[in-house]
Amino acid sequence: MAGGGFDSAESSGSDRGKKKYHKGKKLGVRIDMTPMVDVIMLLLTFFMLTTTLATPQVMQINLPKGEEKDRVKVDMGNVLFIRVSSQGNIYFSLGKSDGSEMLPERIPFENLRRTLESYFAANPNLLMLLKFDRKMKYNQMVDILDEINRAKIERKYSFLPMEEADIQIVTAAGG
Amino acid sequence: MKKARSIKKPGINIDMTPLVDVIMLLLTFFMLTATFKAADSEAIEVSLPKSVNTDSTRLPESDIMTLTLTKTGDVFLDVDNYNVRKEVFGNEFAIGLYHPDSTTQSEYLQTGKIGNKEFKREVIPMNRAQFEKYINDLRLNLINRTDGKQDFRIVVKGDKDTDFGVVEDLMKSLKETKNTRFALVTDLKSATLE
Repeated sequence: MAGGGFDSAESSGSDRGKKKYHKGKKLGVRIDMTPMVDVIMLLLTFFMLTTTLATPQVMQINLPKGEEKDRVKVDMGNVLFIRVSSQGNIYFSLGKSDGSEMLPERIPFENLRRTLESYFAANPNLLMLLKFDRKMKYNQMVDILDEINRAKIERKYSFLPMEEADIQIVTAAGG
Repeated sequence: MKKARSIKKPGINIDMTPLVDVIMLLLTFFMLTATFKAADSEAIEVSLPKSVNTDSTRLPESDIMTLTLTKTGDVFLDVDNYNVRKEVFGNEFAIGLYHPDSTTQSEYLQTGKIGNKEFKREVIPMNRAQFEKYINDLRLNLINRTDGKQDFRIVVKGDKDTDFGVVEDLMKSLKETKNTRFALVTDLKSATLE
């Protein structure tokens, strides 16, 4: 113990002894950090406010090229029509090999993924034909594509325009 | 004795070193990760749809052709390379405007505003043929400029309340110009636990 001169009871608190020593000789330099902290805080705030941390995600879409040579004939038995009405109701209907299709079935959005998975479990070669009403919101299109992406199925889909016949089918099924 | 000593010291001395350490660390972190908001922050505001998006692709950093869809059905064509903009649009701050739905009027052309906000950049109205030509010209310009090394990635930034009809028309134009690969920008939706 360097800082001597005290009785044993006091010098057992070693900090106290040291303090006294420093105080006496005034060793070391005291730098006032406050201005530096101020500046750093300012910089920090600036960077925190100007950064955009989360770069938005993207959802990749690949449309068929639509060239003559790429055209394939699809067996209607392997087609699943997904129609969405202007109200945003989702209807599934399977195609039949003779060219007609089954009656549309309304699928609540919460069950969309499960239903898709069960359809694909029954027929893994299904091709989804998406017929969305022009008045449907973009939000819902992204939601549906998202569900298709999340479902554990092979993502084969194609966009087709919603025609008058489709609108009639959907209206007949409840709009 | 002890009491007398503590009275002698006026004020409290806080050791700032740990604080400065932490702040320095944060500062370094933010400085290194900073990607500043787009230089021309005259970006059109849209509220993006949310998606869970399992394949978590990120938006590319540069060489993006952005197609912004406002909820009124206007499509804005923009690229992030101002040299290309200068050559193709004739003004480095110009932006293309295409209104695919003929049954409605373009919000910008009627009011001069986008989403009730003033827009400072020059807007070039286009019809469908011009729109498709400009998409091709913009891409060709960048490809020629970089000897085929770079090409624009097409990114569709749609407002969630846009009608699907606008998206459908846009997809038709993209298909027509042989741009069958594009990306939809979405916000991350926190996946619901199942």
